Amino acid sequence: MTKGISMTLKKSGVKLILMATLAAGAAGVAVAHHSYSAFDVTTEKVLNGAIKKFDWSNPHTWAWIDVPNEQGGVDTWGVEGMSPNYLARRGWSRTTLKPGDKLSITIRPMKDGSKGGMWVTAKRPNGEILLMGGTITDP
Amino acid sequence: MQSARQILFGFVTASLALSMAASAQSAGQRVVRKAPTAADWEAIAKLPDFTGVWEAGGGGGARGAAPAAGAARGGTPGGTPAGAGGRAGGARAGGRGGAGRGGPSLTPEYAAKAKATPPSTAEESLTANCLPPGLPGIMTQPYPYEFLLTPGQVTIISEAYTEVRHIYTDGRPLPEDPDPNFYGTSVGHWDGNTLVVDTVGFAQVPRGLNFPYSDKLKITERFQLTGPDTMSVETTVTDPLALTMPYSMGTRNLQRHRNWTIAEYICEENNRNGVDENGKARINLSNPQASPK
Repeated sequence: MTKGISMTLKKSGVKLILMATLAAGAAGVAVAHHSYSAFDVTTEKVLNGAIKKFDWSNPHTWAWIDVPNEQGGVDTWGVEGMSPNYLARRGWSRTTLKPGDKLSITIRPMKDGSKGGMWVTAKRPNGEILLMGGTITDP
Repeated sequence: MQSARQILFGFVTASLALSMAASAQSAGQRVVRKAPTAADWEAIAKLPDFTGVWEAGGGGGARGAAPAAGAARGGTPGGTPAGAGGRAGGARAGGRGGAGRGGPSLTPEYAAKAKATPPSTAEESLTANCLPPGLPGIMTQPYPYEFLLTPGQVTIISEAYTEVRHIYTDGRPLPEDPDPNFYGTSVGHWDGNTLVVDTVGFAQVPRGLNFPYSDKLKITERFQLTGPDTMSVETTVTDPLALTMPYSMGTRNLQRHRNWTIAEYICEENNRNGVDENGKARINLSNPQASPK
């Protein structure tokens, strides 16, 4: 958490978290159960491909996307997203991403270069944007 | 002259008496709960209505800022509220909590302990491997809580990690020598419309405190409604060995969502993002077809 924050301090939203954390006097408030440390949060990469599988699972969703590579083949990339409980309250469901869905996903890639990353945003061919935040769908 | 047999008998009898006394003492800490009466249930109805599902995220207090911030940033998992607890135990490096509300004021002994604790080399705490954070970390999650009020007990269900806290409001005292554990042993009472919860008996596990603490750690929480669907939770930590004065962790504000239910959250289900035995973060990208659901 602390590490992730220090890397992304330029984001005002993150500043807010940092302030809240300090105010709370406790480290790791409102943080993922996991790391950002495997991801390069200073870089973004765009994956254009088709959804192979969508794990509607805890503690994170994973979108697996087949992306054509330069050798004429296909690489499967894994993209970590928010958890189902969080997403379900913000308009997502287990069928939001279906196998075959064409998608352009922006990720923060793995530092070690392996084929994975963290979901930032995504766009469908019809222009629909798929954010993993957003307003709570609650009256 | 006593025979060996008599001596042995005496010894066994004395041992038995001692062990019975010991078990009587521990039994003294157990409380036999009487069956609730209709009047007990009616009394529940007169208490402030804490029932339902509450969350700090998305409009709650400062500590619930992560999901909202995540949304503002376009929803990256950077704000991933996947069940915090965060660095918890790993974050005891040197009492860094000296910011904000003044931070914990450590006794010389515990200040030295904090200083002597080398900064953790672990990139993440064990919560990355789905170990739930103890109290108070479990109460600073960006996921909702459900409150259940029954005669003699308030139960808090944390969606994060699918954890449960049992708060006994039947008048029992705090245990004198509790087994140390993640959430301690909680006893509550109503101070007017405020539920005051005292908890003792804490093991040294990740719990979101960034200073060393002793087995005398005590956490006091004050829960009160601040509006039709809002609640504040004020948390204060005392520790006669580690702290020179009570340490206020501030107030967290919760929002009730009448149309929510608690979702399942089995962290071990598909955790591909944990830490290895050296505390180094790892991601498992192998064999996606084998992942569940």
